Amino acid sequence: MYEERRKRSVFEIMREYMERLDAWADELLESPERPSWDVQSCCLEPLCDISVTPDEVVITADLPYAQPETVEVEAVGDTLIEISAKMKRKVGFGDFGITHRKGEFSSFRSRARIPVPVETDRMKIHFKRGILEVHLPRKKGHRIKIA
Amino acid sequence: MSEAVRIVEKKRIPSGAIMLQGLPDVGLVGLIATSYIISELDLDEIAYVDSDLLPPIVVLHRGLPHATLRIYGNKDLIAAISEVAVPAKALHRIMRKLVDWAESKNVKMILSIGGLPVQNRQDIKDPKVFGAGSSEAALKLLREKGLEILNEGFIVGPQALTMRYCAEKKLTAIALLAQSFFNYPDPEAAAVAIKKFAAITGKKVDVSDLLEKGEEIRLRARDIMRRTQSELNQMKKSQEYDLPLYV
Repeated sequence: MYEERRKRSVFEIMREYMERLDAWADELLESPERPSWDVQSCCLEPLCDISVTPDEVVITADLPYAQPETVEVEAVGDTLIEISAKMKRKVGFGDFGITHRKGEFSSFRSRARIPVPVETDRMKIHFKRGILEVHLPRKKGHRIKIA
Repeated sequence: MSEAVRIVEKKRIPSGAIMLQGLPDVGLVGLIATSYIISELDLDEIAYVDSDLLPPIVVLHRGLPHATLRIYGNKDLIAAISEVAVPAKALHRIMRKLVDWAESKNVKMILSIGGLPVQNRQDIKDPKVFGAGSSEAALKLLREKGLEILNEGFIVGPQALTMRYCAEKKLTAIALLAQSFFNYPDPEAAAVAIKKFAAITGKKVDVSDLLEKGEEIRLRARDIMRRTQSELNQMKKSQEYDLPLYV
């Protein structure tokens, strides 16, 4: 055992230590997991994505079975966007072959936090082939040029 | 010490077959395509992967437990799928074992299906499929079948490792990469990839049912997509967007 330990370089021991530290940090930072559905509100949480470009923040959501005319996007304050949509048909656990849970879902709902300041009153939305796209122009900061 | 990754054979494994791989990756293209092929060609479960490196999960189908990483097959086709995202840290050992095992079964070729993320995916009606090969012979085959070759760039994840290990062993590997969403399950991309799989292998697979069930699949695949995303982040999948430097 001692022999084995002596053979390892300081860098190896450091690397292992850092890996263990990373793993602990991951465990601590990970938020408690929750399901992607809520039986009480009959809602499913859609898959969402946020990207920030130099000019805008783009939020997308995958909304299969959504009725286009029911898709709603609401800016809650300056930092939060709420997305909701009704589904064309109700989907239950039974549709996925699950018999040990009961519940039906008829709409999508999710919240996305906006990472940088945006102009929510200039928000534009598109819904194409089941994918929602929300465009939020970024607020202009102070720019200076080299004199 | 016991073996880190073990392949448990449940039935006789054919020799000289083609192996198909569809593990969770961008847009779940490979997993959707391979599961559909397994069901359409009515392949039997012939083996599974057992490893302490995989999460402690068992999946119940018709009340009976199954391993999450399973291998299906008939007399000339073997197909590997995983119903959960393979942890990034376990990927090397799992993929090496699958390639070693394929070699021991005299597999003719390993064909893996995956997605090639594109930013404007919702504007693309007919996604294109690109091909990558482990050898000049593989590239020739892809060109003969009318596929555009992925000439320069990075491939990250299960397909990358299959290509690397196959190249080492001089085993033919082909990666089919269909333009797809990065974060959203993409059955349409899976359907175009299946058509190219059919062209290469000569197997007939009708994709109309897959396209019809597209919305249902997208809904069902939300949870596995979410978990796959977190593994993709860990394996630095976004590096596929990077420009390679080779002067």
